[in-house]
Order: sequence, then structure tokens, then C-alpha cells
Amino acid sequence: MSARRPPAAERAAGRRIVTAFLASAAGAVGFAVVYALNAGPQWEGVSLAVAFAGLAVGLAQWGRHLVPVGGYVEEHEGFTPPPDEQAMTAAVLTAPDSPIRRRGLLAALGLAVTAIGIAVLFPLRSLLPWNRLRPAVAFSRTPWGAGVRLVDQQGRPLRPEDVPAGTLVGVFPEGSVDSGDAPAFAVRLEPQRFTRPPSGGHVGGLVVWSMLCTHAGCPVRLYLKGTGRVLCPCHQSSFDLLADAHPIAGPAARPLPGLPIEVGPDGFLRATGGFTGPPGAGFWRRQ
Amino acid sequence: MIIDRLARALDDRLRLSPITRRALAKVFPDHWTFMLGEIALYSFVALIATGVYLTFFFDASSADRVYRGDYAPLDGATTSAAYVSTVQLSWDVRAGLLIRQTHHWAALVFVAAILLHLTRIFFTGAFRKPRELNWLIGVTMFLLALANGFTGYSMPDDLLSGLGLRILVSVVESIPLVGTWLAALALGGEFPSADLIPRLFITHVLLVPALLVALVSLHLGILVRQKHSQFPAPGRTEHNVVGSRLWPSYTLRSLALFAWVLAVLFALGGLVQINPVWLYGPFEPSQSSSPAQPDWYIVWGDGALRLFPPWEFRIAGYLVPAPFWPGVVLGGVTFLALYAWPFFERWRTGEHRPHQLLDRPREHPIRLAVGVGALTFFAVLVFAGGDDILARLLGVPVYDLLGLFRVLALVLPFLAGLVAYLFARALRRGDAASLGELTRADLRRAAGPAPVQRGDEGGLETPAPDRPGERIELWPEGGLWRWRYRDEAGHVVLTGNRAVCSEEEAVEASRLAYPGVDRVVVPGPPPPPPPGRVRTALRRWGRAAAAGSLLVGLLLDRRRRGGDRGPQPPEPAESDSPPADEPATPGGRT
Amino acid sequence: MLALGATLLLGAGPAALAPGGTPSPTPTPSASGAAPGAADRGAQLYLANCASCHGRQGEGSQRGPSLIGVGAASVDFQLSTGRMPAVQTEPQPPRRSRPVFSPEEIAALVDQVTSFGGGGPQIPHPAGGDLNRGRDLFAANCAPCHSATGAGAVLTNGWTAPPLYDATPVQVAEAIRVGPGLMPVFPSQVLTDAQVNDLTTYVGRLRSERLDRGGYPLGRLGPLAEGLVAWLVTLVLLVGAIRWLGRRAGQ
Repeated sequence: MSARRPPAAERAAGRRIVTAFLASAAGAVGFAVVYALNAGPQWEGVSLAVAFAGLAVGLAQWGRHLVPVGGYVEEHEGFTPPPDEQAMTAAVLTAPDSPIRRRGLLAALGLAVTAIGIAVLFPLRSLLPWNRLRPAVAFSRTPWGAGVRLVDQQGRPLRPEDVPAGTLVGVFPEGSVDSGDAPAFAVRLEPQRFTRPPSGGHVGGLVVWSMLCTHAGCPVRLYLKGTGRVLCPCHQSSFDLLADAHPIAGPAARPLPGLPIEVGPDGFLRATGGFTGPPGAGFWRRQ
Repeated sequence: MIIDRLARALDDRLRLSPITRRALAKVFPDHWTFMLGEIALYSFVALIATGVYLTFFFDASSADRVYRGDYAPLDGATTSAAYVSTVQLSWDVRAGLLIRQTHHWAALVFVAAILLHLTRIFFTGAFRKPRELNWLIGVTMFLLALANGFTGYSMPDDLLSGLGLRILVSVVESIPLVGTWLAALALGGEFPSADLIPRLFITHVLLVPALLVALVSLHLGILVRQKHSQFPAPGRTEHNVVGSRLWPSYTLRSLALFAWVLAVLFALGGLVQINPVWLYGPFEPSQSSSPAQPDWYIVWGDGALRLFPPWEFRIAGYLVPAPFWPGVVLGGVTFLALYAWPFFERWRTGEHRPHQLLDRPREHPIRLAVGVGALTFFAVLVFAGGDDILARLLGVPVYDLLGLFRVLALVLPFLAGLVAYLFARALRRGDAASLGELTRADLRRAAGPAPVQRGDEGGLETPAPDRPGERIELWPEGGLWRWRYRDEAGHVVLTGNRAVCSEEEAVEASRLAYPGVDRVVVPGPPPPPPPGRVRTALRRWGRAAAAGSLLVGLLLDRRRRGGDRGPQPPEPAESDSPPADEPATPGGRT
Repeated sequence: MLALGATLLLGAGPAALAPGGTPSPTPTPSASGAAPGAADRGAQLYLANCASCHGRQGEGSQRGPSLIGVGAASVDFQLSTGRMPAVQTEPQPPRRSRPVFSPEEIAALVDQVTSFGGGGPQIPHPAGGDLNRGRDLFAANCAPCHSATGAGAVLTNGWTAPPLYDATPVQVAEAIRVGPGLMPVFPSQVLTDAQVNDLTTYVGRLRSERLDRGGYPLGRLGPLAEGLVAWLVTLVLLVGAIRWLGRRAGQ
């Protein structure tokens, strides 16, 4: 039991508590004023914090100095009931007319409930509309295909000279700039430096690969000019573009799929087919 | 007066006073670690309050919307409604940014407090019988907190959250057989789908919070029913709880903590910028930003994804991608282990008795070693998740760090576990009270063979008759009876937490709390030290608080009302018979 | 302790990540209007400070690359950001520091190096542009390496993309056109002059503290820095509070 404090200390505690509550009220008023003046988040936060901190300090002082702390004991009954009590409850539950005794009926009931439980799961299938492709097929398909022109983020078709050496240009299928799995990038490399030919081929050193990391799908867009490498910002997978974008460091295991391209009769770049593999992260049915 | 009458009216109809009297006298152990869970609880309250405010302004839709407002670099741009409304909330809604940032900080603190609470429960063995059920509920809430943190982080549709979602979708896709179906069902198509943000929203504001509220209630209900566990000390047994009472001590302290948590969160929300989505920009499938990390409580997953080597293989032609192991298996195993631990430990130790007294962490070196090892492993993963930032701060190549972390993740947990094991054994066997007092001899002994095991690991109290100087004292007080436990040798005096109507009840309660201790009837309460006169100002505050509390008013009227009823025995009211060391001061109470 | 050190580093913010945090004076590009004496001055400066690595006629050596054809923009960028003259030859690009030469001396050196011939990008003159388009272009082309917040990021092999807060509009435009070090180059067929203007305007705005409306920006390093703060606050302010609250006064 806490020894009672002499009155002087108690009076001092009382004064501190009153001060804290007054500070709290001042903080609350301050918040209202700050809000009305539109003084910004910093002042709003500080005034509200003062209001609640004053409350906290006052209540804590009160709880520590003016009421007894500690020294009490409460009995704990334990949770193991006496055996006859358990037996009585069990007897009520398993009386002769108890439903629990009707095994056959219970089995049928269980069957019905299970059937309902399974049946109500079926509408969850509607989360994916029925008219969509099967997921593994959808994940493998992209808007790229033979004849689809390469455009930049603004939708302008690209000519080969729009991709000079030393830079990385994001390219998209014409008409599907916002598609989630279509982003690709074009770079111009020196073909004599290739240690492995690009899977999608190249047009005078101009090569296009999928932009999505084969590890977890982040856009691989950190191009280290001169090294011929791109880096994924999410998990630091590094791909060597001179070796057909094979991973050379980090957690990615597969090369970036390439995009076969050609120069169309109109002088613009266009794809001659889809990616050489499904873009982005791997999945079970990925071929 | 009005409150008095209202309280009486309620009690006349619902007969709340017996329950209330017991509830107000509930004893909380006086140890700070018992308030870790309260930090989480109050952060959760703050999350709900600020979150509700945010829903008034947030537009959970991927539809195009034009931003018009104070943030010049976005003014006139068309992006998703979710992103536009978040930027508006941050720049154009007065107090919106404060609430949004406070909400986000509260989420970070919420999970941190949960983790601390879980760690305390684990190391002190508070999950043992009869509290396994609350352990399971707690672990589930931890999981739900992580899920809701992630959905909340993802909803604004900014560049960072889009990258995070993309990674999560990739992780789900990596699950053998069902991965693509799960991802497609959740997305309603392919990433990024128009359905995703509304689905995230309803999950974030309804599904998971509703579950959390239900589980929090259950968690607390079970806690009240089972009462608190406590650390061993003189006078504390498997059959009692020693500490302070809910009213008034813990009411004041807990409210103080609530206010303090709010104060800290609002201070953070106002002063420290968090998740500036306007700087990150809207999500575009082809854009990225570096460094890219999720919130801290997901970073361990991101770190595992970074560390796991590029190992992929095919089963009968089907691909098992690398993210499956660090992304799905690691998380799954972690939570399965958490769920299974109480049962695993019971199976290993054969300890089936209920425990109300807690272990000190040192008393179970193996449990301590496992816990420390696991925490170390996840700490390494968190640091690995920030390897790019660390590489920059330290000026070392990022792949060097990656290699280092790969080694550390495998080695450090075992080392840390071993060290924890040895220190626990040294502490348990030696005379040192704390780590600082350990001597080299203690450590040498710890490494040696185990001495004869003590009979009882669980720390059950020694039988009472062996302890002379222990007794229970009962005394009448007014029409009521009270009791206290006195241990002369241990200099411990503990008062029963509430007055009861008869001597028999007092005997019964004291026998439950201290089986086998002799009981004597004494003439009255112990001579109290002279009571301090509370200043009038203070009494005014006390009156104001009392008037504000319905339950208090209810209790204050018990005696008067009991008299009106005639045949019913007068129900003793706790507040009317003040604790033994404090004489009745009715002056300040009406 | 490590956490504390990291906090201190974070606390220092972008300044800590950018050696030589003082903004360098805007160089005065004077490709055409240099006085006759300036040419001599440029030659002297070149021989004294550059020729030992880059050769007397900019032909390059084992210690430094050729300067023929790098263009005025590149020379001005390297000198005005203090990257050149390099203190030592390193495999990785030198970092930003206080420029060694005065703007006039830099102009003279630019003239000297361009006199070696070979063309190359001229010093750009960025004008005001559109913030909104600049933000979009920045997100697409710059944010992957320099971070969406402009705080910079780490690349492989210890290389970093530096923070952009100290760069002047001219330096930003020069970097876009020249592609110093590992940075990709963005010639006019990739980014038009108008787009460069938009970008420099947005980058200029990024360094403005008005964008940190939420308060202290923690170096704009993102969720990890925020998590560190959350943990420190939880441990110090909240756990500290319950340790105090859990005890009786005077105990």
C-alpha cells in the first residue's frame, strides 16, 4: 500500500495536474484557432499534440500521486471445473432426446451444411468475369503482335533514328500505352559487342525487350549507359543487355523476353510478333 | 443530480451494479510490459477515428479524374480518382494532411506495438494454458494488421504503392497450381485492373477492420474472464492477481496512456512527413522509382525477395518461380510457427498445467534462443530490404551488401540464439540478477553440463505451510468484511480488492487466493498513516470526473437505493467503503 | 547505435547525401562573347589543370578520356558541378563538389576545349516550362534512377544517381543532353528543347521545401526512414511512457 504523501506534496501534485489540464485546454483552443486560420498541418499537429499531451500528463500525475497504486490482490478461481460439474453439463447435452444422439440425422445435417458451404463459394468465381481468358493464357498474352507499331509514352510512332545510342526509350504497343504487361524498352547497342544474340533480333543494333522484371514485375528502367546493363529498382536484379538481357546479379532467374521488330514500309518501327516469352514474373503454367 | 438519477434508473432496469462493482475492482498487475498491448489498442482506436474521417474525402476508384488544386505540378492533370482525391486530401482539404499522416503513423506504431506485445507474451510464456486461445487470436490480429497496412498503403494509387502491388501480385502468381487463378480473381483480370482499388478499399475499411474489432473484443473479453497473468513475487500465486485496481488507479493511468498515444501520433502527423504521394506521382505500369520499399512491417518480405537466390525449377514442366519461397513459404511458415508454438511447446515439455505466473525469459533458455534467433532473422531481412539505402549511406556496392546479408541471414540467427541461450543459462544458474551483473564464472558454468534440474520449471509457489509469518487477516468494516494477506518475512501486505457482505465470503475469497494460509480475524483495518487533506481544487476536479462517469454515479447511490428495496440485503458499494488505508471522505463525492 | 547513426544521417537529410551541399554559382555561359584575353587564360588553365590527364590537345591519355567532341555542355557541367578537375582518377564518376574555378574561368576553359573541335552538344539555355508536363517526363525518364522525390538512389558497383537538389537548371539541362558518366543521354530526338525546359522547371520545383507540406521530410528516403522513426518514437516516447506509468510515484 502506498504511503500517503504529506499534504504539501499532494498540493503540489494538484497544482501540476491543474496546470496540465489548463495547458490541454489551451492546446485545444489553439487547434481551433489554427484550423480557422488555415495555418497548415504543422501547427495543427502541434496544437492537437499539446492538447492530448496535457491531458495525458494531468491524468498520469493524478493516477500516480493521488490514488493508491498497487497493494491489492484479487482471487483467481482457475478454470478447471470440478468433475461433477463437467459431468452435469455433459449430461444435459447428451440426454436421451438430445440431438447429439441422433447420429444418422446429424450426418445428413452435416452433409447439407457442407453442401451449402461449398455452394456459396461458387459466386466468388464472379470476381473474375466469366467472359475473360483463363488467367494463365491472359498473363501470357500482350497487345503486341505482328504489325503493331512501337510508340512512345505520348503515343507518337517511333522511327529507328528516334532511339540513338546511349539512351533508353520506353516503347509501347500503339493504342495500348496503358497496358500493364506491354511496356518495353528500346536501346541501341553495338552488335559486335553482343555476347549472345538478342532473342528478338535487332535492327541495326536497335533491340527491344520487355520492361518488366522477370522476378517480381517491376519496370526495369535504370539503364547504366556504357555498361549495357539495366537494373531493377525493386530488388536490384541486374540484366546484361549485351547477353540477351540475361540476369547477372540479384534474384531474377530468367532473361527479359525480347520483342522482334522491323522497320515498316512507312518508316516506323513495328513488331513482327509478340514477346519471345510471357513478360514479367513467373507463374505455374508459364512456358 | 441528473447523472445520479440516470444511473439509478439504469440500475433499476438492468441491475448492473454487482457486475460493475466487480469490474471496477479488477486488479491489473503493476508491470509496464502489461501496457504494451494497450499502446496497440489505442493506436487502433486512433486508426479508426482518423480513418473514418479520411473516407469522407477519399474516392476509391481508378476512373479518370482531373486534379484542380494547390499542388501546382499536378494541377490540370488527369489521373485516377484515388490518386487525385489523395492529393486533394493532402493539399486542399484543411486538416486533411494532418489526419492522413496521423493515420499512417498510427498504422506504423500499431504494428510495432503489436510486435512488442507479442514478443513479451512469447518470452514470458504468457501463451501457455489457459491462454492459448488468446495467443491464436492475437497472432490472427497481427496478420490482419499486416494485411490492412498493406491494403491501406496500396490504395492511393501512387507510384510506390503501385510497385508494391505489382510485387505482391507477382508473389501470388508464383503459387503453384492456383497462383494465377488467385491473382486473377483478386484483380478481376490482369494487373492493373479497374476493380482493384474498390476491392482494396472495401477490404481496408470494412472487412478487415470489422474482423479486427470483433477479435479485439474477444481478446479483451477473454482477458477479463481469465484475468491477468503476473510475474512471480512474494504474495503472488497461481491463484491470485496482485496489483492495482481498475478504479481508480488503472482508469486514470490507461486514459493517460490513451491521451499520450494520441498526442504522440498527432505530433508525428503534424511534424514528420510520411508517404508524400504527391511527390511520388500517380502509378503508371511503365514507371518506377528508386529506392522502392514498402512500410517497415512488410519490409522483411521485400528483404527476403532480395536475398533469395535466383533458383527456379520446373515440376513436370510447370514452373515454380523464385518469389514463391521467400514470398509465400516464408510468410506461411512464420505464421504457422507462431500459431503452433504453444502446442509445440506443450508437447515438448509435457507441461499441461494451467499457468497464471509468468516465466522470466531466462527460465526457458531454449524458448529464448528460438525467439531471439527468429527476431534476429527478421531483423536481418529488414536491413536487407533497405540494402540500397544502406549501400548509399555506407558508400559500399549494393551487391557486396547483398552477399553479406545472405550470409548474415543464415548465420546470425543461430549465433544470436546461442548467445541468448548461454546468457539465459548463466543467469538462471548464477546469482546475477541482471545481464550487467553476470560474471565470467557464470558464463563458464552456463556452457558446462546441466546441473540437477529443479523440480518445478513452471515456478509454482512453494506450499504455504512452509512459509512462517504468512497469514490472512479478516476484519469487519461497517456492515462489510474485508481481508488482507500479510507476509512478515517478505514485508508484503496485500489487501483484498473489494469488500464483501459476509465473513464467509471474505474467507472464501482469501482461501481461493491463498490456499492453505491461516486466517485470523482482527479487530479492524491496520492503523493507516494520517490521511492527507486533498485540496479543494483537487476535489473539484475529482467531482467533475465523477460526475462525468455514469458508473460512478451508479455506485454512489447503491446504499441509498438498497435501503429502499427492503428485503434485499444491502449491496456493499465499493466506492462507499474506501480502501483500508483511506478513510471515507464523503464530502467530495456527491 | 547503428540505428542512431542512421537516424543522424537521415536527420541531416539530402544535405548529407550530397557532398558539398552549397549550391554552386550559376555559370555564365559565354561561348561567343569571350574577350581575346580569355582564350589565353583558358589555355593556361587547361595546361595547368587538365592537360596532364586529357592531353595537351584534348586527345586523352591513359589517365583521362579524350575531350574532342564532348561539347561545351559537357565541359561546363563537369566544371561547374565541381566534378572536374578530379582529385584522383577513379573507376567511377567523380562526385559533385564545390567548383574549383570561377564562372569566368569555366567559360574560358569551355572555349579552350571546344577549340579542339569535334562539335558536341552546346550549353543549353533552359527557359521556363510547364510543371505538369515536367512532372510526367520526370516520372518516366528520371525517377527510375534519381528517385521520384529527386533524392537520388544507388546503382550497382557503388555507383549512385546523385540527388538533384543542388543542380541548377543549366546543369540539369546539360546532364540531360550530355549524359555524364553512366547516365543515359537524351538528345533532341528523345527530348525536345521544350521538354527539357519542362523538366528543368519541375526539377527546380522539386528542391523547393514547399513540397514538403507534411513536415520534416526525412531525406525523402521513403518508408524505411519512416519505419525507423516510428520505431524510435514507439520505443522512446511510448514504451518510455508506460515504463513511467507502470510504476508508483517515488518508486
